[in-house]
Amino acid sequence: MTQNVHIRLASQRIDNTIVGTSEVPRLYTPGEIITCRSGFMRGHGTYMEEDALTASVAGVVEQVNKLISVRPIKNRYNGEIGDVVVGRITEVQQKRWKVDTNSRLDSVLLLSSVNLPGGELRRRGTEDEQMMRKYLQEGDLISAEVQKIYDDGSLSLYTRSLKYGKLCQGVLVKVFPSLVKRRKTHFHNLPCGASMILGNNGFIWICPTVSEDEENGLGGFTENLLEVVPRTDREVIARLRNCILALANCKMMLCDTSILYAFEESQKYEVLELLRPEPMLDVCVLTQQRLYMQEDE
Amino acid sequence: MAEILLSEAEKTFILHGVEEGFRCDGRMRLDYRPMEVETDVVSHASGSARLRLANTDILVGVKTEIDTPYPERPREGKIEFFVDCSANATPAFEGRGGEELGTEISNSLATAYQSSQTFDLTALCILPGQQCWKLYIDILILECGGNLFDAVSLAVKAALHNTRVPKVKGACLDGGTVDLQLSDDPYDCCRLDVSDAPCLVTLCKIGDHCVVDPTAEEETCSSGSVVIAITEKSLVTSVFKTGVGSFHPQTLIDILKVGQTIGLSVNKALRAALLEEEQQGRKKECFGFLK
Amino acid sequence: MDRTATLTKKETSGHESQLGLDTKADRLTDHVKTGVVSQAKGSAYIEQSNTKVVCSVFDPREIPRKSGYSVNGELYCEFKFAPFSCIQWRSHQPDAFEKECSLILRRSLEPAVCRHEFPNFQVDVYALVLENDGSALAAAITCAALALADASVPMYDLVVAATLGVHGDKKFMDPTVEEESLCNILPPDGRSRNHGIITAAFSPAHQQMSEFAQSGAMDIDCATSSIQLLREACESIYLLSQQCLLKGVTKMLKKKQKEIKLDLSSDRIAC
Repeated sequence: MTQNVHIRLASQRIDNTIVGTSEVPRLYTPGEIITCRSGFMRGHGTYMEEDALTASVAGVVEQVNKLISVRPIKNRYNGEIGDVVVGRITEVQQKRWKVDTNSRLDSVLLLSSVNLPGGELRRRGTEDEQMMRKYLQEGDLISAEVQKIYDDGSLSLYTRSLKYGKLCQGVLVKVFPSLVKRRKTHFHNLPCGASMILGNNGFIWICPTVSEDEENGLGGFTENLLEVVPRTDREVIARLRNCILALANCKMMLCDTSILYAFEESQKYEVLELLRPEPMLDVCVLTQQRLYMQEDE
Repeated sequence: MAEILLSEAEKTFILHGVEEGFRCDGRMRLDYRPMEVETDVVSHASGSARLRLANTDILVGVKTEIDTPYPERPREGKIEFFVDCSANATPAFEGRGGEELGTEISNSLATAYQSSQTFDLTALCILPGQQCWKLYIDILILECGGNLFDAVSLAVKAALHNTRVPKVKGACLDGGTVDLQLSDDPYDCCRLDVSDAPCLVTLCKIGDHCVVDPTAEEETCSSGSVVIAITEKSLVTSVFKTGVGSFHPQTLIDILKVGQTIGLSVNKALRAALLEEEQQGRKKECFGFLK
Repeated sequence: MDRTATLTKKETSGHESQLGLDTKADRLTDHVKTGVVSQAKGSAYIEQSNTKVVCSVFDPREIPRKSGYSVNGELYCEFKFAPFSCIQWRSHQPDAFEKECSLILRRSLEPAVCRHEFPNFQVDVYALVLENDGSALAAAITCAALALADASVPMYDLVVAATLGVHGDKKFMDPTVEEESLCNILPPDGRSRNHGIITAAFSPAHQQMSEFAQSGAMDIDCATSSIQLLREACESIYLLSQQCLLKGVTKMLKKKQKEIKLDLSSDRIAC
């Protein structure tokens, strides 16, 4: 049996900030005055102090018409209707599940917002209420879409589409939500042989590719625990996981292209080596270069 | 430990991965995650070290004080371990939440360092029966990302390696009181011999196999772990079980044998790292928590 | 007591341990008893040479200071030396050693108890050493398992425990206090520098070791060979634990039958 023990010194620590070519935007710190002019609206992350609009969090200023808000560098997930999220069930309550989606408050998944086995138009009776733990229990992972934002900021989710539902075997990676790029689609069947859900909330799900017809049959609640994921799939999943963590470590934006580039650039390393700082940085730098090249074209 | 929630499917995925010998992050069963060590990070301590293993972050400080030896062991110094599970690590440690885990770790270290073959307490003796050095080893858990026992023991060994005990130039008995003359030069001090200090190796049983250095997710899947303390001379100085679950005697024997070989390579790796750091000399830059 | 005095043999090495074990088994038959604390749900008392331990188990109660649902019930174990149990006076406050023993006690018993049968509840197990003449922890584990069984707490199997002391080439099964302190110090230069104490808890029906706690310093061969020795020792205590339980149950049954008879006869008189 092989074994691998690596102990490095702090002096070998490397700087993992990648300097981009784009300009660094102006950052504001809490208490700093953004503008003294009147006529602006107070958005998130700001407050009014004697007619001056002041930042309450550290971050970049965003302006939409008259609305000024400050987006913090590191924040929990701020939900928007239509976002794709990956979440974990934390509690089973009456007619609803509580879901951890990395937002400030736990999100809610109502029993009426899920597809139950046996057709979409089925009525939900008391029987279903008692069976709720059978469908989804504490710890289960789901993919869902944000349907509504309540007054207190908590999210209401729904899974009434065949692409959403309970997640089966795979790996969950957690990154900052601000690193996930908003795209048209967040479900990706990568050519390297794995599927990926880039949740807007910073939860990324990687699993073996499911074929199209199989996917339709899922309906949300089947999970095959007997099936063993083959070694080759496992290697791809582990590599993807380590690449995503490497990119997130260098604070690079995550989308299917950047992840795929990183995956390709990482091929010269063993999956295991991607846990070490140097290969991680190397992969990120190479990915960055390819992204610029693509932009130039 | 702060348990994390996992779905059955995720557990199955981890379990099958361990069976296959290919874990979720690409490691084999007996691979450690990369670690980072730095000694001499706290200036007011006689010796200190910080060790980071993935998300687990440990800071150890050693303080020396003069004390009277135990009457039954007049020629030996004292050593005391204290583990502080800071609420910085996880809110679950708040108040007395981390106390149980803290006692468990400090007790395990005390047991592992108990034998005179691991750490020579007589080196801490100043005046037999009258005065000795007492080492307060305070362990701070700054971040908790699984595999605490291994990380803590390595950090303790590194901190002890870094510890400098002031040299006593003269000691004389003046009536009932003891007069000690300590050297004025702060660089004039003795090192401690840590070549026989043990490292703890946790072998976490997942399914029918054992893995080392489990992540927090893997710990959740495990039914129990065996922790083995191994010295560089491959002496077993402590064995105990953590978690629920039990082992077949034959499994236990196999685990002990695997643990021994791993313990040796962990000891070797730490020694190499510490030697390398020493060669950088006194002028070495202190990195600490910045950068 | 004179019988135990004649049997303080126990210096066993290697495979000769069988001899020591037989005498130990002999000794145990008279000195294990269940149901000694009448107010507890279940209790047991054990005497191993001069080591005397009493253990009581109380009804399950809700886990204090805990919110949220836990699937498995919990065991709360406390191991305590009586202040007068050792040569030196012991404080009423639990010290580090007692805390560690409490932890080992819990780890030994937990795998054997069907904890899923009392979710959200905890069962309290208190072990009190009245007199310590070595191997108190092992005696406490055996005793606690009996008390649990006496309290009708569902268990997969009984748990029995044994202690082995190692000093150089010599091995002591079930060491006394003197032997324990001998095993804690480094043997003089000789062939073997091994020393230490191992306490193991074992469930023979499923061949599972629920705890293996070692201290001291020994090479790997010594540690592994001890496993076998401890297992054999545990197997012999197991039979006695079973017998003791049976005895307790039959006694209870007889008492019940007597009561029924009495009831019947009193009924008859009433007629």
